[in-house]
Amino acid sequence: MIFAAAFAAMLGATIPAMATTAVVLNSDDDSVSVIDSYREVSRTHIGRGPHHLIGSPDGRTLIIAMSGSNELVLIDRVTGVEKQRITASDPYQIGFSPDAKWFVAASLRLDHIDIYDGQTFQLLHRLPIGTMPSHIAFSRDSSTAFVTLQGTNGLTSIDLASGKVNWIVPVGPTPAGIITRPGGTLLVGVMGTDHIAEVDPANGTIIRKIVTGNGAHNFLATPDGKTLYVTNRVAGTISVLDAGTLAITNTLQAPGGPDDMALSPDGRELWVTGRWHAWVNVIELASGVLKTSVPVGRSPHGIFVY
Amino acid sequence: MFDAFQRVLEQVQGTIFEWALQPALFHLGLMDWSEDVFDGVEFALYGALAVALAYTLFRPLELWRPVEKWDERRAVRTDIVYTLVHRLGVVPAILFLVLAPIGVTIDSYSRFEGYIPPAIEQLVTPLFNHPFATFLVYMVVLDLGEYWRHRLQHRLPWWWALHSVHHDQRQMTLWSDDRNHILDDMLALVWSGTLAMLIGVPPGEYPLVLIGFRLIESLSHTNVRLGFGRFGSALLVGPHYHRVHHSIEHAAAPFIRSRGCNFAVILPIWDVVFGTWRHDDAAYPQTGVASLTGPAVRCGYLRHQWEGFRRLAAAIAHLISRRQPDFVAALPAE
Repeated sequence: MIFAAAFAAMLGATIPAMATTAVVLNSDDDSVSVIDSYREVSRTHIGRGPHHLIGSPDGRTLIIAMSGSNELVLIDRVTGVEKQRITASDPYQIGFSPDAKWFVAASLRLDHIDIYDGQTFQLLHRLPIGTMPSHIAFSRDSSTAFVTLQGTNGLTSIDLASGKVNWIVPVGPTPAGIITRPGGTLLVGVMGTDHIAEVDPANGTIIRKIVTGNGAHNFLATPDGKTLYVTNRVAGTISVLDAGTLAITNTLQAPGGPDDMALSPDGRELWVTGRWHAWVNVIELASGVLKTSVPVGRSPHGIFVY
Repeated sequence: MFDAFQRVLEQVQGTIFEWALQPALFHLGLMDWSEDVFDGVEFALYGALAVALAYTLFRPLELWRPVEKWDERRAVRTDIVYTLVHRLGVVPAILFLVLAPIGVTIDSYSRFEGYIPPAIEQLVTPLFNHPFATFLVYMVVLDLGEYWRHRLQHRLPWWWALHSVHHDQRQMTLWSDDRNHILDDMLALVWSGTLAMLIGVPPGEYPLVLIGFRLIESLSHTNVRLGFGRFGSALLVGPHYHRVHHSIEHAAAPFIRSRGCNFAVILPIWDVVFGTWRHDDAAYPQTGVASLTGPAVRCGYLRHQWEGFRRLAAAIAHLISRRQPDFVAALPAE
């Protein structure tokens, strides 16, 4: 009954048109915060080390990766009721292939990548990979997963069916977030520097580098595919890019170690976790102004916004 | 109130990390250490808080009703150094750098062999929706583990060689809890890491409560005539109870069970259960190790650490050659 109480309270109230609900994972607090009306309405113990969460392909479930308690927690997205816990080894970052056939988990602390059946969550392959496999992206044809290796400054390509490594290449110091562009190339946040790198998925060649800000970390693309946001975790900013040209169109202030992002349902607000200051920043995109910072638990990381 | 106070600490932690440490990590190419360093700032911050609280609460007790008074306090000043290097994270950081890769290798290997360590609330499912109760269960289990580690420290000659660094203090005060050899600290981390492989680690929501446990450990070493009575000393380790453990008489023959007592760190129930509980209202014994005196005991931190290495080497030489190390006094007649 993770969020049920908070959800029930909200569903029973009159919800303004602009109201946004956010679920935030407090990775050092072992808890989940629910934010409503820009206020934390609940903080619930969930288990050890919740870092990232994603929605299931059918949109009905939130899946939370619990690296410390070695499990995936599946929660009904509407009611907030916990549906299932699946044992998994140190899942840090997780993702489904575009066709939902594969589910991949990266174990940052224990240096392995797990490939599961996307329907049954049966473990199919466990690859030792060094070191610090971090964030995950997929090829558009769902044949390949790409994982950044924070500890060895690399990027790896993995064939999902066979569980074999296609290649590992250096990509820059401490690569973190990764995203697949519509044309198939990859963008990598090179957190140890001030840029993102566009990478050829065929062989890992760096095509070009775009300077965004110190500690380029993670990505968020708008649903219409026109805009790309990049958190610069050291600089405390978010770069706004034209998703087509990768030209920087704006820079937003996001103090406190901006990490993971989510858009409000109406697309007017950008919600971003402030990793070092236990808050969630809400930025009004039309003006670029920081609207508010919502206090949550320690080291907030993954965020999901309704 | 606690929430507000913890909120302040979180902001202090974040500010220290962002302004002082993250820039250094970035420019040194060490950004993969960001999360560990951030957690380290929290450790140091709460450690500083624990030290400040211990001094504020317990130093007045030492002034009010001391067991002993000393004109020369050099050994006490050494214990202050011990406390600061431990509680502010210097020694823990060193140990983390050395041992974490080994721990990761072992843990990772176990995953490939199909073993994933459970958390206590996964084994005892009624605990799951009660994180504070789970935390307390972890504290009890870990305290039991510490009791047995302490028994072994007194039972195995080579381990006693290291642990005698803690026991040779004849001016025991609130600062003495962290007077430990770095190899002994390393063994303690291996011990707790092994437990973590079996039962996981405690929930992370209660850093302020953890300070309470550290305060109990500081109080138990405080130089004060204070006991919890016969009944109380079966419930919680206190200064009188732990001073009896540090008695110089008991250290004369440290690996004879009849001479050792009161090994518990927080909960004396373990001493009661395993037959090592001792209570004596009248006794506030002198502390120390009979055969260890002089500069080797009253020296500074680095010299004292070197002394611990010397004792360990002597104990190992004894194991090999059966030659008696100098820090083990001739056994008195029973």
